[in-house]
Amino acid sequence: MSAPLLVLREVRKAYGQRLLFAVGNLAIEAGRTYVLVGPNGSGKTTLMRILAGLDRDASGSLEFRGAPTSFALYPERLRRAIVYVHQHPYLFHTSLRHNLEYGLKRRGVPAGERARRVEEAIAWAGLTERCNTPPAKLSGGEKQRAALARARALEPELLLLDEPTSNLDREGRAQTLALLAQLVEERRTVIVACHDQEIIDLPGVRRFHLQDGKLVPLA
Amino acid sequence: MDLLEPTRQAFALLFSGDPALWQSIWLSLWVSVAAIGLVAAPSISLGFLLAKKRFSGQRAAVVLVQALLSFPTVVIGLAIYLLLSRRGPFGSFELLFTPWAIMLGYMVIAFPILVVFTLSAVQGADPRVYETARCLGASRFAASLTTLWEVRFGILAAVVNGFGRAISEVGCAIMVGGNIAGLTRNIPTAIALETTKGDFAQGIALGFVLMVVALGVNIVLAVLQGEGGLK
Repeated sequence: MSAPLLVLREVRKAYGQRLLFAVGNLAIEAGRTYVLVGPNGSGKTTLMRILAGLDRDASGSLEFRGAPTSFALYPERLRRAIVYVHQHPYLFHTSLRHNLEYGLKRRGVPAGERARRVEEAIAWAGLTERCNTPPAKLSGGEKQRAALARARALEPELLLLDEPTSNLDREGRAQTLALLAQLVEERRTVIVACHDQEIIDLPGVRRFHLQDGKLVPLA
Repeated sequence: MDLLEPTRQAFALLFSGDPALWQSIWLSLWVSVAAIGLVAAPSISLGFLLAKKRFSGQRAAVVLVQALLSFPTVVIGLAIYLLLSRRGPFGSFELLFTPWAIMLGYMVIAFPILVVFTLSAVQGADPRVYETARCLGASRFAASLTTLWEVRFGILAAVVNGFGRAISEVGCAIMVGGNIAGLTRNIPTAIALETTKGDFAQGIALGFVLMVVALGVNIVLAVLQGEGGLK
């Protein structure tokens, strides 16, 4: 078995005296999808934000591809490898195309390759006809798909999705679920925090339950 | 008082290309634009830092900048006068009663306006802007620029307000500029002078130009906001 992509060790998050969670050891293998379930307030989003380097006030350590580091340090290399998509994704007030190009430009991807990846991501998300629409005029489902496409275009080593189907209508949810199923099929490494039973039941995913401050694997 | 005749004379002056009148207009415009151009980068940066960074004394710094907004411009003029006067610490530069002294005054006056407007715009920005930029791989600096870009209409409003305040300022401009014809006489100081002399035509003509400039700048801002989807 190959070495895990990411290993978390003794991750603890507390607000003052109140302990939110204490995760012992957790190994994330490349090419797998993990679903993180748990009641509201259990700390799912907080754990995702810690993994994304947005909340650096957590104790414990992590190893990425065998290289140890801490949440407080959170090197830029990790920021390029791990991409987090908010529960309500934010699209910049420019164009959809610019949104998809944003991270690729920051990574110094050459123009030709950038254009290819953007076109591919727009087609993947089924947004070809909407690519010139200002993001403010996209529906909730389209925004979610655009955010997924923007993250996928970066080809991250680990993709973190926070409640990707919440607050979507039936059609938007179905379209987002279809994209998630494709990510699983493509063997991307993904962690999804959600309550959505259809995501939890996706074939081939590993499930974890975060409750009362403990993270336990589900059958 | 009959206003029709002075108004007719005012437009005649404007369209005849009266050199003294147009010199005042040109001076007002270039000094105000240069002052805002020079003060924009540091004040917008400070506004951003005050909104985003947490440090001890932050609240006091915000209160201080807000207090500067209501600082009397004649007091700013007095302070600059003392600094630039022959016996002042910067007297050797011989800037007093030059357009450069007026520009310096405008920069000081516009600075808190730009800082406070930027602070307010950045504080009102969705926190996901910065986070999203960081998550997509932007450096801290690039994510900060992205945040400023996302609140660009608030920043533009700051620049427009700063410009409006500068171009219409009288007290400081008279104190440090001296209202010297052909050298430091600008639109507001000329209006003040000509009105006291009873030359209403000049005052009306210059007042008309000021209003056109103010209206034009605000129309440009409104058009840009419309194009940004903020109709």
